[in-house]
Amino acid sequence: MSLTKSLHPDEKYKAGKLGASLTKIGGGIAAVFLGVSLILGGTHGDGWKRFFHAYVIGWSYIFSILVGVLWLVILHHLARGRWATAVRRICEAMTGAFPLVFIAGLGFVIPVLAGYDNLYYWTHHDAHDAVLNHHLHHKLGWLSPEFFAVRYVIYGIGFTALASYFARKSREQDESGDPKISEQLRIASGPAMIVYALLTCMAAFDILMSFAPKWYSTIYGVNFWGSACVGGFAALALMVLGIQRTGRLTHSINAEHYHDIGKWMFAFTFFWAYTAFSQFMLQWYGNMPEETVWYKYRLFGEWQWVSIAMLVGFWAFPFVFLLSRWTKRIVPSLVFFAVWQLVFHWLDIYWNVMPQYDWQVTTIDKVALNAGPLMGDTALHHVGFSPVDVTVWIGLVGLLLAGIGRKLKGNLIPVKDPTLPLALAHENL
Amino acid sequence: MATHDEHETPPPAADDGNGNGTGTGDGYGDGALYGVLAEYDTPGELVDAARKVRDAGYTEFDCFSPFPVHGIDEAMGIKRTILPVLIFCGGFLGTIGGLFLEWWMNAHNWPWIVSGKPTWSIPANVPIGFETTILMSVFTSFFGMWILNKLPQVWHPFFRLDRFARVTDDAFLLGIEARDQRFDLEATKKLLADAGAIAIEPCYLEADPARRTMPKWILAFIVSSTAFALIPFAIAAKARNSTSTEPHLHIFPDMDFQPKYKSDTACDMFPDARCNRGELPGTIARGSLQADDTLYRGLADGQWTTGFPRQLDINEAFVRRGQNRFNIYCAPCHGYDGRGQGAVPQRLAASGASWSVRNLADPAATPAKMPNGQLFNTISNGFNTMMGYAQQLPHIDRWAIVAYVRALQRSYNATIDDVPADKRGNMPAPPMPAAPAAPSSSTPSTSPASPAPATPAPATGGAP
Repeated sequence: MSLTKSLHPDEKYKAGKLGASLTKIGGGIAAVFLGVSLILGGTHGDGWKRFFHAYVIGWSYIFSILVGVLWLVILHHLARGRWATAVRRICEAMTGAFPLVFIAGLGFVIPVLAGYDNLYYWTHHDAHDAVLNHHLHHKLGWLSPEFFAVRYVIYGIGFTALASYFARKSREQDESGDPKISEQLRIASGPAMIVYALLTCMAAFDILMSFAPKWYSTIYGVNFWGSACVGGFAALALMVLGIQRTGRLTHSINAEHYHDIGKWMFAFTFFWAYTAFSQFMLQWYGNMPEETVWYKYRLFGEWQWVSIAMLVGFWAFPFVFLLSRWTKRIVPSLVFFAVWQLVFHWLDIYWNVMPQYDWQVTTIDKVALNAGPLMGDTALHHVGFSPVDVTVWIGLVGLLLAGIGRKLKGNLIPVKDPTLPLALAHENL
Repeated sequence: MATHDEHETPPPAADDGNGNGTGTGDGYGDGALYGVLAEYDTPGELVDAARKVRDAGYTEFDCFSPFPVHGIDEAMGIKRTILPVLIFCGGFLGTIGGLFLEWWMNAHNWPWIVSGKPTWSIPANVPIGFETTILMSVFTSFFGMWILNKLPQVWHPFFRLDRFARVTDDAFLLGIEARDQRFDLEATKKLLADAGAIAIEPCYLEADPARRTMPKWILAFIVSSTAFALIPFAIAAKARNSTSTEPHLHIFPDMDFQPKYKSDTACDMFPDARCNRGELPGTIARGSLQADDTLYRGLADGQWTTGFPRQLDINEAFVRRGQNRFNIYCAPCHGYDGRGQGAVPQRLAASGASWSVRNLADPAATPAKMPNGQLFNTISNGFNTMMGYAQQLPHIDRWAIVAYVRALQRSYNATIDDVPADKRGNMPAPPMPAAPAAPSSSTPSTSPASPAPATPAPATGGAP
């Protein structure tokens, strides 16, 4: 029994060909499924509307997973964490996929910039009608395709810079073993956390919340972040398990580390529910039309069943079962909940976007105008899962894996980090 | 704690912790042997020693450290605590209890509608249910930890050893009790020494059995202070369930008894013993004299006046005051433009009710033909379903509204010629008319040739 432990002499901690094969597998999945999606999207007969909605959902999904994982990296330095040193290099490799993810996101940003107006209502000509959209009219300075594209580039550069800074310095320490690098990273982590928080919230406002451009909610970014962290920790658990299955890191990472990943996943499961309920209850209580309209199309009609599924599936069921210590320490059980939460995290984003899918046309002075989302009879708004929703999702996950594979090289554990011996001996009380 | 009886007990005979690691002191040897206490240098060594002691078959032993040591419970062979289960149950009871509390209070015992919500609605009750869940979880966690650890133990034989006082500072201790079946002083000492102890000392009970437990005065203090703390509750309980002839206890008598009369209290200064005094015949309260028929009743020589009271100066500020009052008190029904299309009739019309509001602005309608005095009287005393506004509006404000209504009527069929030439450039772009307002035949239409920079151009599209 000791409080520190050195790396096991038989430990396989080199990535070797792992990254290259992951890139191949991920790239293959991406090529096949995105190709199928293009066919499905093109033949959907709605001017690619479904395809692009599915694309933004799938893109937000892979983006949010990286947002969640990046948070652990920054927090680990900020709070002088110990246990996560054992999995930090894997996190750094995952966040190394940010550039590829942001390149993939150009798939919807460029069409918006080029004038595609079937995705975001605020890009539509009729959104500018001052009579039809009195309140929206004042938001269009912010929600313009050009400014949107500029902000997208800022998010891309910001997240990439944060992720690559922490990954690069950590790799430097592998060479030099200089403990001062840990100190530098700790100092950087404070401002980095602030930048991270602003980027995350604003990205959520722009990319997801602006599907309902007339709606108001200030907690939306926080709620998205909670969901993103559930997805991030779930993906991290699966990633660690996948690497261990190849015979690597089998001595270094054990139930204690899975337990801590599971604890975070559990915590954010509740945090998501907490912020989601905060948003709901205040708007329900305030009962103002410009706020409740968002829930009107989620609590009535077909969407109410998805909302109930979210409450039970994304919160109640995993919450009750992840309360126990053992469901987080027994790896198959943790993996079950990780997969479960990854599916529901996707449903969460779907639930955030797709009730805005159906736009209503209204007539003013005998002129037909597109009034946009969240209008008309709730019975006319259908959940309507489509195959393209799933194929785009899987394709983009493949792309994410390919992006992670590119960075999965060299040491899979920060071998000269001064806190590694503590992380390896880590035990939960 | 352990220094309480220092003056009575002999100092440790041999061991002060810096010997060869096998202290054999038999100090404090004035009673029966209670057990052996060993000190280890690091938490890691303590954990290793605990495992060895457990492997040797001991069960009556415990480890003491300044902070929680990872892995110590596994090393000692302690089974996992049931505290988490208790906390779950406590939290669940908190949820149920909180929701029951809210149901009982707001839906059952005293139904009270807040913000138009149902008296029993889950979303509004979740925050309280959440808080009571947390509260009961924390209570169970906190008190459960104390109870399961058999704490507080204010009196323990190990407290007699000076070494034990350092357990909250830097000492990592392992104590084995003599009642353990495997206990043998020399063999146990050897086991602890082999496990790397830096000091070992036996611990003896007090010679006097009466001193082996908590001193009576501490117990007496706890019991008496607890009883004392209950006195206010007891007094309150008695007061709620009994009657008394004694007067109330007044903590701030000068606040409770102020030298003044409140309405409807008794007063022996007058024969009828009432402090409320009615109006005396032939008198009038200061400021209540309303002799001027025109100013207060809109009458001139018994007829409705057509002008304004002579006291009033009819200028722009006065009309603006009228506009301000009109928009607050009149516009909800009559509309901001006075045409009878305010929010209330619009809403009633939307719900299918039929209720018309007078058009105040149309020069062809009845209100425009009323003399000023009659308009004033209508505002003061009401008309049909409209109630009087004399209680809300002072008479001067009512006259100001009359002036503003006249201005509205003047503007009803206004043309660009009604705007002074030097003000025409300031006119905002006109909104589209809400209702068809055909120019009255009596109003001369504007000349098509007149220069009119602000003349409304026909709107190209849209509607309000």
